[in-house]
Parts: sequence; C-alpha cells; structure tokens
Amino acid sequence: MTVFEVINNILKIVGDAVAAFIISILGAGGLADFVIMLLAALIICSICAVAFMGLTYAERKIVARIQDRIGPNQAGPYGLLQPIADGIKMFTKEDTTPAEADRWVYNLAPLVIAVFALLTYAVIPFAPGVVGTNLNIGVFYVIAVGSGSTVAILMAGWGSNNKYSLLGAFRTVAQLVGYEVPMLLNVLPVVMLAGSMSLVDIVERQTLSNGGNGIPFILMAPLSALIFLISGIAETGRSPFDLLEAESEIVAGFHVEYSGMKFALFFLGEYVNALAVSIMFTVLFLGGYAGPILPPYVWLLLKVAAVFTLLMWLRGTLPRVRVDQLMSFNWKFLVPMSIVNVILVMVIGKVFVADAVLAQSNGGIAVPPIVQALILFTSSIALLLASLLLVARQARQLRLVEAEDIEKRVAQNKVAAAKVVAQ
Amino acid sequence: MTLQQILFIVISLVVLGSAVLVVTTRNLFHAALFLVVSFFGVAGFYVLLDAGFFAAAQVLVYIGAISILFIFAVMLTRDVITAQRGNSQWQAAAIVAGVIFLIMALLLGPFSVTIRGREFGNANWPFAMDGNAIKAAPGNFVGILGTGLVDLNQYGVPFLLAAVLLLVAMVGAIWVARELRGREAERAAAETAVDDADMDANQPVQEPLPLIETETHEAHDSRNAAATEKH
Amino acid sequence: MMLAAVLLMGFALVGASILRPKKPSKAKLETYECGMETVGDAWVQFRVQYYIFALIFVLFDVGGIFLFPFAVAYNSLPLYAIVIVILFILTLLGSLLYAWRKGVLQWD
Repeated sequence: MTVFEVINNILKIVGDAVAAFIISILGAGGLADFVIMLLAALIICSICAVAFMGLTYAERKIVARIQDRIGPNQAGPYGLLQPIADGIKMFTKEDTTPAEADRWVYNLAPLVIAVFALLTYAVIPFAPGVVGTNLNIGVFYVIAVGSGSTVAILMAGWGSNNKYSLLGAFRTVAQLVGYEVPMLLNVLPVVMLAGSMSLVDIVERQTLSNGGNGIPFILMAPLSALIFLISGIAETGRSPFDLLEAESEIVAGFHVEYSGMKFALFFLGEYVNALAVSIMFTVLFLGGYAGPILPPYVWLLLKVAAVFTLLMWLRGTLPRVRVDQLMSFNWKFLVPMSIVNVILVMVIGKVFVADAVLAQSNGGIAVPPIVQALILFTSSIALLLASLLLVARQARQLRLVEAEDIEKRVAQNKVAAAKVVAQ
Repeated sequence: MTLQQILFIVISLVVLGSAVLVVTTRNLFHAALFLVVSFFGVAGFYVLLDAGFFAAAQVLVYIGAISILFIFAVMLTRDVITAQRGNSQWQAAAIVAGVIFLIMALLLGPFSVTIRGREFGNANWPFAMDGNAIKAAPGNFVGILGTGLVDLNQYGVPFLLAAVLLLVAMVGAIWVARELRGREAERAAAETAVDDADMDANQPVQEPLPLIETETHEAHDSRNAAATEKH
Repeated sequence: MMLAAVLLMGFALVGASILRPKKPSKAKLETYECGMETVGDAWVQFRVQYYIFALIFVLFDVGGIFLFPFAVAYNSLPLYAIVIVILFILTLLGSLLYAWRKGVLQWD
C-alpha cells in the first residue's frame, strides 16, 4: 500500500516539476497548457507503443503454449527481446510502394489507422482522477473513433491497387460495419444503468464510493457484456473473426503490399485496438479500476490482463468462421438479440427501481440494488438461453432436411447402381 | 483574433477546399475521400461549438457509415478512375444549388428581401455581429436532448417519425437492391468469359450434394479449420 | 484537449514515418499476386451486396444514435416515455425482420 503511495507521490512530484518547468519557459497561458497537454498525450502514446510490444510477445508465447509450441525463444532469455528485435527489423526493412499504387492514399492509410487507434486512449480512466479528458460523451466518442478506421482500411485496400488488398478491405469493412451495430446496442444498457456516457461516471457507478453500489455491470447486464465482447473481437478482426487476413484465401487482406514501418503501424493499430477493447470491456462491465485493498492501477491492470488473456485463449483455440456464417451470425442472431435485450433491460430497470426517490416520482417498484441486479441477471440469462434454444431448434430442422435429402440421393444412387449391375 | 477564430477559419478553408475538390476530381475514389475530409471538418465545427455529442455523431454517421456507403457505391460504377464523361444535368444542378444557397443565406444571413410587401429573411439577425453568439451548451445537454426526444409534448412525434422514415428507407433500399441484383445477374450471364465483375474469390462454394455416402460435414470442417495456425 | 490529442498523435506518427530509412528500390515494385503476372487494375466493379449491407448498417447506426441521449436521460424518465422508445426500437426491429424476410441478409 505504502509503496504505491510513494510511487504515486513521486509521479505527481515529477509531473508537477515538468509542468512548472514548461510554464517557467513559456509563461502561464494557452501555449504552456497546449505544450503540457501535448506532452501528456505523447506519454499516453508511448505507453501504448510499449504495451504493444509487450502484448505481441505475450500473445505469441501464450498462443504457442496453447497450440503445443514453444514460441519465440532465441532473442534474449525466454525470447524476451523478441519484440525489440522485431522493432529493429521493422525500422530497417526497405519500404516498397507498388509502382501501380495510388501513392497518396497508399501512404496515408497506415497513419490514419494508427491515429484513430490511439485516439481512443484520450478518454480512458486509468485511476481516480487519472484520465486524459473526462468527456461527458466518453463511450460514444470511443465508438465513433472506432468507426473511423473503416475509411483507413478502404484507403489501404484501394491505394495498393492489388486485388487481394481491395477484396480484403471490402470484406473487412463489411465485417467491421456489421459488428458495430451490436456493439452500439449493447453499450446502451450500460449507459442506461449508469445514467451517463462519461467513462469516469460509469466506473464510479460501479465503485462503492461516490453514489455507486459496488455491483459491476457484468452482473446487471451479462448478455450485453457477452455480445459486447464478441463484437469487440470482431471489430478488432481477431480470430475467430480474422477473415480480413485469411492467409489461405486472400494472402493477408488489405495490407499485403505494405512492408517495414507502414506494416508495423497496421500491426500496432490492430493490437492497440484489441487492448482498447479489453480496456473498454473492463471499464464498462467489470468496474474499471474499482476494487478493494489493491490500488486502482493494479486492479485495472489485472482486469485488463484477464480480458486480454481471454482474447488470446479464443485466438489460440477457435477456427476461423466462414464469411457467410460471419454475416448471418451478426445480422440474424446478435442484432435481434441485442435489440430484445435493450428492451428487456429498459423495462425491468423502469419497473424495479433501485433508487427510492426516483421510484416515487416516476412510478415503479422500489427494490434494493442487489435485488434489481439479480432480476436483471436472471432475465438476461433467460433471454440468452431462450434464443440459443431457438437457434438450436432451427439448426436441427435444417440438419434433418439435409439428411433427408442425402438419404434420398443415396437411394437414387442405389437404384442407379442396381440398374448398371443388372445390365 | 482568438484561437477559436483562427481554428474556425482554418477548418472552414479545409471544408470548402475539400468540398471543391470533391466535385472537380476525376477519380471517384479520391472524391469520396475528400468528402470524408470535408465531413471531418464539419465535426471540427461541432467541437468548436462545444457540441461534443454532435461531433461524435458526425464522425460515427458520416465518416463511419455514409462515406463507406459512398465508397461502396463508387465501386459499383464501371470506370472509377477514368470517369471522363461529364454530367449532362450539371446546369440544372448548378441552378438548384444556387437557389438553395440563396434560401439558406436568407434564412441565416443578416439581410432580408422584400417581395410584394412581405419581408423575407432577417435584417436584424441576432447573431450577426455579436461576438457572444456562440453560447456554451448546458452541462447535461445530452440528457436534456434525450428527455425532449421521448416527450410527446416536445419531440416525441418526430422521434417516432424518424423510426418510420428509417423503416421506409430500408424498404426502398431493398427494392432498389433487387433491381440492381437482377441487373447484376443479367450482366454476369452476358459476360461469363470476362469475369472481372465478380472477383469475390471467397464465395462459400455451393457443392452439389454428393451422390455417394461421403461425409459432407467433414469436408466443410476441414476447410474451416484451415488456418488456426498463427503468424 | 480532444483537438490537441488529434494534432499531437498525428504529429508523432508523421515523425515516425519520416524516421524510416528509405533505400532505392528496384523492380520489386510490382503488385504482389502470389508470383503471377498481374492482369489489369484491381479497381474494378464490385458486387452490389456490399452496398446493401452498408445501407442496413447506416439505418441502424442512425437509429442507435437517437437512442443514446435517451439512455442518458433514462433514470429520470417517467414510465410512459419508455413506451415511446420501445415503439421506436420495435420499428427498427421490424425493418430488420423485413430485410430478413426478403432474403437480403443472406450473404452469397
């Protein structure tokens, strides 16, 4: 505990000293503020870059273990220096631009994608009071920024003037765009329960301190959490939704032609986005930095690490889905279920109100928060089970029809074979 | 000049410049990208006005959705880079644009026109020269907006009408799509030799059902599991 | 602040890409197509299906944006307001079901 306090204090003192130094040079005012903000944003960016290097190593090691391989083990002890080796390689690789490419578009695309990926981190609360900027539309901002990368992907696909690239880009965009809908719809219950779009408010609602009741939203809206995670994985284009880089089909998707640092930027964008999804999941559903005893940073780190490990686990075990399965799963299952889920949460939250004062003024039955959470939890699970049952029945019927068809053909075959034999 | 004014001028230049480029570039894809830049500039205006919600909505809808729609539509045309033919209706378009601009200027600008004794426009426009025209939005602006949207006495009816509009748009889109699909099928039949039209190499192959007793499911599964291996 | 973040990240990334070493390149600038000679541009006509999915997405995107202000105000709203929103959402669901019925959601 005290150790963390000491670290906190040191950080604060250093930060204050740097700020004072800048103000002493530029004089207090807009310019100094701007420089300080610039510095802060740079620090966040570089933390992201370091996290990216760490994540690539962790993922390669863990997925390797899952698939019964060893993973990187040559560079440094346990291959720990592998990300640095990769970085050097990326920096010194020759950067080719296809002669036929649309130069401007081709060169701008990786930049745009990386900028949009990093922009998300401006609103994420890392600890009480430690947040780039507490926008009152935080969640909405994150989703909006996330949607911006689609244009960049199209730019990359188009700019390369390569059939694989363009095809990959189109498929990627169709996927990203589709899975954004369930993501949008499943943030809604959280916003409703928290009564705010600010990420700080959402976290505070899940803590025991300022007006929160200490119940993480995953217990109040488990179905939303599940769908958010699935669509988040799809949004970042990770396995099992990694059709965009299906090596066996379209080589590597929209970034076939890229090499060197530009490729690294795409790679960075992918990992930074995956990390952002884990952090957003933690903030929205697991209570962000909230937690007893341990300091906030550590809680956030632990939770994000757990979610990211889950992502890696999924990546290591699940096979890739087919493109038609991908689209059907989204539009025919996730989206309808999300819509019903939103309505469900909406109605239950209004009928069983956790706040006695609000219940009095707006109608509804006043219940303790725990009871409300319990009701929400059971109804969400019930909805999930019901829809799964529905799908299972549908699938069984389809299978039966198929089996019947096959049997018919086999019978026809036998008749034909008998004819041949008779002749 | 304050920082806000400088930013306003810069953003305006970007928006106008890219808007001009949208209509002058020959390359349709580049035109779409300039449109995105223009949209982004408009989002910048919203940020300057302290309307963060609208800025984010602008990015989400116009950059994340509408521009994607435009680019997909562009790719439906035949000659994306070499579209040389001019639009035969450009004169009509120019007239309509001019009229709309005049009406907008009348509605929003600080002047008026008198036609047959009736005054159109607003000569003493309140914001015209007033430096304080831009007022900060209230803190809980989005919440107030939400309350207004679902209140039947305020914007409840337009809110529901918006949903109906979306429904109608969906019906219309599907109707148009059927037409397009029909045409696509015709074309595909016409030019089976040159298959540049449909380069989607990854169609789920529609295998005819096997005549002998083979396990179709296994065939599918092995294809799905093709690339669990990671780079 | 948001603006500053945008500016600076763009700046940092431009710097990074300037740092990159550039070596003169030879005839390796051909479009990569698994070693085959490339035939024609990649800029060809695409399928209408992508367009339809994008259209459906736009509808849901716009619908979703309408719901966010409501969600923020949710706690202080009376019960009858919920009915209006449910009507709104059901209309959206209706349009999805219509598309489903017409077989538009089938990717082929």
